[in-house]
Amino acid sequence: MSAAIWAITAFLFSAGLAAVVLRRQLLAMLLGVELMIAGVNVALVHYAGRYADAEALAAVAVVIAVAAAEAVVGLSLILKVLRSGRGLDAGDLAELRG
Amino acid sequence: MTAAQVPLSAWLLFAAPIAALLLGFFVFRPLKPEWTHLPILLSCAVVTGASLALTARVLAGGSFDLNLYRWAAAGRWAIDFGLRVDGPGTAVLSMVAVVGSLIHVYAASYMKGDPGFSRFFLVFHLFFLAMIGLLTANNFVQLYLFWELVGVASYLLVGFWFHKESARKAALKAFLTNRVGDFGFLLALLLILTSFKVGHFQLVYFLVRNSTTMPEFLPLIGVLLIWAACAKSAQFPLYFWLPDAMEGPTPTSALMHAATMVTAGVFLLIRAWPLIAAVPALPPLVAAIGAFTAVFAAVLAATKKDLKRILAYSTVSHLGLMMLALGLGQVAVAVLHLIIHGFFKAALFLCAGNVGHAIHQPTANVDDVGGWGPSMRMTQACFVLAALSLAGIWPFGGFFSKDAILDAALARGGAFALAGALVSVLSAFYIFRMMFLTFHGARPEQKGLGAHPHEAGPEFVAPIVLLSLGAALAGLLKSRVETLVVLGWQQVPFVVPIIGGQLRILRADLPGVSVLPEFSATVFAIGTGLAALGAGAAYYATMMDASWDWRWRASSPRLSNVFESDFGWKIVVDRLVAGVAGFARFVGQVFDKAWWDGAIEGAGTAAGGAGGILSGFSRGRLNDALWWMTAGTALLLAARGLR
Amino acid sequence: MTLWAVMIAGAVAASFAAAMLLSRSLYVGAVCLLVVLLQTALIFLLRGAPLLGLLQVMIYAGAVMVLVVVTIMASGGTPAAERLADFTVPRWAAAAAVAAVALELVLTLAAARAVPEAAPALAPASGDYASAFGVSLFRSYSLATEAVTLLMFLAGLAVLPEKEAP
Repeated sequence: MSAAIWAITAFLFSAGLAAVVLRRQLLAMLLGVELMIAGVNVALVHYAGRYADAEALAAVAVVIAVAAAEAVVGLSLILKVLRSGRGLDAGDLAELRG
Repeated sequence: MTAAQVPLSAWLLFAAPIAALLLGFFVFRPLKPEWTHLPILLSCAVVTGASLALTARVLAGGSFDLNLYRWAAAGRWAIDFGLRVDGPGTAVLSMVAVVGSLIHVYAASYMKGDPGFSRFFLVFHLFFLAMIGLLTANNFVQLYLFWELVGVASYLLVGFWFHKESARKAALKAFLTNRVGDFGFLLALLLILTSFKVGHFQLVYFLVRNSTTMPEFLPLIGVLLIWAACAKSAQFPLYFWLPDAMEGPTPTSALMHAATMVTAGVFLLIRAWPLIAAVPALPPLVAAIGAFTAVFAAVLAATKKDLKRILAYSTVSHLGLMMLALGLGQVAVAVLHLIIHGFFKAALFLCAGNVGHAIHQPTANVDDVGGWGPSMRMTQACFVLAALSLAGIWPFGGFFSKDAILDAALARGGAFALAGALVSVLSAFYIFRMMFLTFHGARPEQKGLGAHPHEAGPEFVAPIVLLSLGAALAGLLKSRVETLVVLGWQQVPFVVPIIGGQLRILRADLPGVSVLPEFSATVFAIGTGLAALGAGAAYYATMMDASWDWRWRASSPRLSNVFESDFGWKIVVDRLVAGVAGFARFVGQVFDKAWWDGAIEGAGTAAGGAGGILSGFSRGRLNDALWWMTAGTALLLAARGLR
Repeated sequence: MTLWAVMIAGAVAASFAAAMLLSRSLYVGAVCLLVVLLQTALIFLLRGAPLLGLLQVMIYAGAVMVLVVVTIMASGGTPAAERLADFTVPRWAAAAAVAAVALELVLTLAAARAVPEAAPALAPASGDYASAFGVSLFRSYSLATEAVTLLMFLAGLAVLPEKEAP
């Protein structure tokens, strides 16, 4: 069981990392971040059950909430970038401009 | 003695030339340049009077050595300006003053009409002042200062006609060769200051005489001073600037390169004699250099065609004789020869100047003159007097000094005796050859320049007459010079302020400076015989076989080339100079411009290039940053895993 | 039994994660992510944390993904021509770095066999465990809970006052 969970965690985390590092569009990067968080949550929940430690579940709850907030902030930033007219291509956003 | 007790004549020695120079430069040169010589001639008269007064004072026992002004002080030692009025100094000073004044008078007529008349007189008198300073210096630093000033004046006067390339090159050659010697002098000076902590002559004499062991650097100091004297007094190997220095006007050649400046080297050795005599190996070195140069130059003088160059080589030869006398320990003899040589050589140069003036050239070649005796009687008469003095014929002046030198050389025996004998023969030969070729019997090879030789005006002839009379009668001064040198040197009190406020009078117990030798009939006979031999050979080679001088040149051009290049020494020097110049060019253009500047600029370019490469890593791309993060994490995990 | 369920859910999640990684269209990617999140919620449930599974579905699938899709819509949503980014280093190097991290992650996890596998595979869905979660939220994690509340508020503030440009 743990092995399966590890495999899932590893795969999800790596896929999320790959999406963040390798993808060009900002939104795709954000999706990758969410994927990474999901993978980590899986591992946390499994081990909470393993050691019957309910406080780990509380940690997962906090992570979910914070991740949601972070997604909100990230999306609003992406909208700002979009509205500045520079497109959402990470390759183009190489200079700070006001 | 304090500064207030310095006699007026000593102050006038300096005040008069300085006043004349200031007046000439600031008043006469801008307003009426053709009158520049007037204050200068007046100053010459004042200086002559002052120097003769000082000489009389020294003869009466009133020599002194006094510090007047502290120029620079550091800790325990200092550099002062001072006056040293003693036997050898005033003897040479009187000669310089008299001969110099007469040449100034001659120059007033000779240089008339030259556009640089004013400049000539000012530089000429500056030289005069520098020579006075050199002769009355009381420490090595002050002597070095005036020594350099004399070199500067030489450069300015040799290159006086600077629009001629040969004059410019000759001036540069003279200055640079002197510089090579001056470098030796500077090193010696620094070593003296390091070893003895003082530079004053009297103090150094005292320290050298009273030290039980020879100071460590004394041989090196001696060699360096001899090197400096070789450069200034045109001894082998550094003599080659003097013949080329004949590019300057004739008064320059007469005063500087015959009578005074070139004798500064010998004078330095006289001043430093107690140091040099303290090292056993050095006097023979001086004598050897002098003997070799004397013979070498005498041979070359007999083969030259330009009148002034014959006299230049003759000067080199006589300076060699002075060094020989010095090296054999005969300081008084060397001073005597220095003085008498000044008279007859100046007279000879001015006669050559008259000859050149007659054909409106700066100098004359034996090809251009011939049989001018009847047209230039006075010049010829003066020339004969001076020539007899040079050849050392009794009772003319030169006999006394040359006889003394020959006496010392023969007494030493060996190579020196041979050298002395050869020089006697050769000097008679070359001077009579010059006389016969110029004044007696025009030869078919002597085409002349078509000018009519005429006697120059009285203002040209009068100074020469006085000089040649001086050369002829200088023998009368013999005993006075002896007294001056022997006694005047030893009796100099030097007031030394000792720490503690006391004054102490130092009298250095100087090595015996050897009185003039007693009259010896043997040496008289030998000397006169050798001179007659030389004169006879000259008569045969020029009068009886009229074209011999041209024939040997034509028949063996290789031999002619050998003499022309000073037995190959000129070629050696040219190669050496070219090598050094090539090295300098390499350093300046290749090393400095290409390598060094290239390296410095290359460093900048390299930094820029490195920056360009490195900046490629941070172009602001988000994905690049993420990648770097990932790669770093991978490395960290790997490191942790490996551990 | 539960093992198989977890493995199936994991496999589905993994495949849809890969699809999301490689999708050209952002819509497809968002939907794929949604599926992955649902699978993880299922895993939460299977592992004895039903409340968390519920929260996951509510917050993520219900709110976050909606926001994401709306943003994708606002950005035009046209499939991008180029999926992968340009790097200073060649692309394979970037992929290799990611692969290295993944490999190391696997190795690290595989080596973390601290506790033997003797613990019960299935967590008891007892009231003790489940209620302990709620208790810990308001006891040990009470500050964190309050902070999260505040965070929600601030997140709302960050989005709400959007001044329109004149």
